Amino acid sequence: MSLIELKDVSKLYGFGDATSVALDEVNLTIESGECVAVMGPSGSGKSTLMNMIGLLDHPTHGDYVLNGKRVSHISVTRRAKIRRDKIGFIFQSFNLLGRLTALENVALPLLYKGFPTSKRNHIARTMLERVGLHDRTYYYPRQLSGGQTQCVAIARALVNSPEIIIADEPTGNLDTESSRLVMELLGEIHKSGNTIIFVTHNPELTRYATRVVYMQDGAIKYDEQTKLGEVGTYARKVMYAVPDTTEEDDLAGVSVLMKVRKDDTVKPSTKRKRTPARRKARLTRSEDGRKAQS
Amino acid sequence: MSSLRKGYLHLAMQSIRTSRTRSFMTMLGIVISVASVIVVVAIGQGVRQQIGNQAARYGQDVLLVRPNQAGNELTGSGLPGGTGALLNASDLSVTRSTPGVSVAVPLSAVTGQVRGDYTIPNPLIIATTPQLTDILHQSIDYGGFFTASDTEQTAVLGADIANRLFSDNAPLGQKFTLRGQRFVVAGVFKQFTAAPFSLEANYNQAVFIPYDAAQNLLGTAPQINEMFVKIKPGNNPNEVARALQHAITDAHGGTNDIVVLPPGAKGSNSDQTLHLLTLMTVGVAIIALLLGGVGIMNMMLVSVAERIHEIGLRKAIGATDRQIMRQFVTEAFAISFVGSFIGLLVSFAAIGLLRLYTSLQPVIVWEVAALAPLIAIAAGVFFGAIPAMKAARMDPIEALRHE
Repeated sequence: MSLIELKDVSKLYGFGDATSVALDEVNLTIESGECVAVMGPSGSGKSTLMNMIGLLDHPTHGDYVLNGKRVSHISVTRRAKIRRDKIGFIFQSFNLLGRLTALENVALPLLYKGFPTSKRNHIARTMLERVGLHDRTYYYPRQLSGGQTQCVAIARALVNSPEIIIADEPTGNLDTESSRLVMELLGEIHKSGNTIIFVTHNPELTRYATRVVYMQDGAIKYDEQTKLGEVGTYARKVMYAVPDTTEEDDLAGVSVLMKVRKDDTVKPSTKRKRTPARRKARLTRSEDGRKAQS
Repeated sequence: MSSLRKGYLHLAMQSIRTSRTRSFMTMLGIVISVASVIVVVAIGQGVRQQIGNQAARYGQDVLLVRPNQAGNELTGSGLPGGTGALLNASDLSVTRSTPGVSVAVPLSAVTGQVRGDYTIPNPLIIATTPQLTDILHQSIDYGGFFTASDTEQTAVLGADIANRLFSDNAPLGQKFTLRGQRFVVAGVFKQFTAAPFSLEANYNQAVFIPYDAAQNLLGTAPQINEMFVKIKPGNNPNEVARALQHAITDAHGGTNDIVVLPPGAKGSNSDQTLHLLTLMTVGVAIIALLLGGVGIMNMMLVSVAERIHEIGLRKAIGATDRQIMRQFVTEAFAISFVGSFIGLLVSFAAIGLLRLYTSLQPVIVWEVAALAPLIAIAAGVFFGAIPAMKAARMDPIEALRHE
């Protein structure tokens, strides 16, 4: 039995002509113990996917089976309880409560489990130790550095001992050094048996993942198992494609994605449909090629 | 569950502490509403008791005989019938001879200037008989009431006029002139808290002279504005009243120009006043409590709007709608609870000060003192629940996006 199973999950917003598709019949199965990196340009549905898996959102169509139980259309209360017991969230903007100390922030999810204060604080303290911040127990978030703040947020995500950790761009607001710290921590948590799903724009960070999922236009475009410590094949392409964007392209709004090289050696796992956007991208590429020749 | 609630109270206190000014202002609203309810009711009760005491003190065995027309304040006498009173000395003797009557006391308004140390141009001068004290039960501060055996012309003063008439603090034995005749002050009434039987006359401003002396002044027996009739024990007041009505109507040749008020009817005027007073008090109380509740709602709405992001986060990490709601309701509860308690203390202090420094004699109504805070808390929780519901129903994703 897989831990997470998404079956033809779609998420639509709006009505009639104004309908926009955030997720387009996504099928995704994640086994327990995986560490999945989700990549893709902004607006490709990464966050919606995260919200879906994290039970913050429910699909318009399709089924979500978590631990063998169908959870696509359960009540908000049951949804909240599953979030409380099985899922830990880490956000790009940390989302700590400014008027609570690090300890109180970490202990917060336990409040909703109904634990008494002493027990809450005890568990929270252990978690802070685990992320190496036991000497910052009574600091307020504004007194901590970005990396430390995110570590407190990780401790908060861990405090319920959840099976799944969902991190939506955990390093998005951090410098390289702090990013490394945070990712090392997530890597350790992964090793201790948690399933981690994280969103990132940085291909380097796929080194911490056992699987890379690439999303575009609300669908999974590419899905690959990787070895820990290695950058995913597809991610590497994106990584090396980065310098190809010129100032000219930026002005024209041409994204890195459109400049992926023609000589794809790796076959994508999902079928690619021809869309006007992609044709345009190809045209752009051939034009660039001609320019380069002349 | 108790641990849960402890957690929420902690959260609520934290939230109150962080937005201190706002919480304080809201609390102030509750404090004022609770305190004003208790104080207003206490003042109302004080007035009730004073008026009620009067009614009780002047007894269930006193009938009132009046001309069939109300007193006119413009004529200055302040007594029923004004200067054109319709009762006379013969009515007095008719009354006295009616079976069941033990004492009949006439009250006559006499006009004239009173000259003591100071001159009072047109005071309320009441000519009456010594038995008045039997009916009023009003104690006399200094001296005594005039008696039938007084050799000199004596008078008794109301407390306020005694101060106005003489520069000296002890008016006893002082003399004043009325229509060229000298009167000696035999006594001064203690302050009347309310006019017995009638709301029109202020007995504290009245000069009481013997009926016989008035006869001397005027040359004839003065017209009578009002009679207090005390009935003999064992007689039914209503029957005596009916008999009296008959007797005087007969004496007036069948003209029904007087009324005899049995004991129950005497207070009718003040009863209505009391009723209105109670209604007013209740109205003020309801408005005050409502305002306190609306204040809470307002504050909670702001609090919710300010913390949309926080609510989103709390929901994301597993707070159920009910738990979010409970957090905000607990906050409303904490504010209204503390506010009510302070309001209670403030009201006690205010009532104490009023008793000390004003002539109002507020009486704490303990039922109200217990209920007002409870109702304020209930109103706070009720009005706090509306924004709390709003908070609880928020979509976590949108709330999280909100900064």
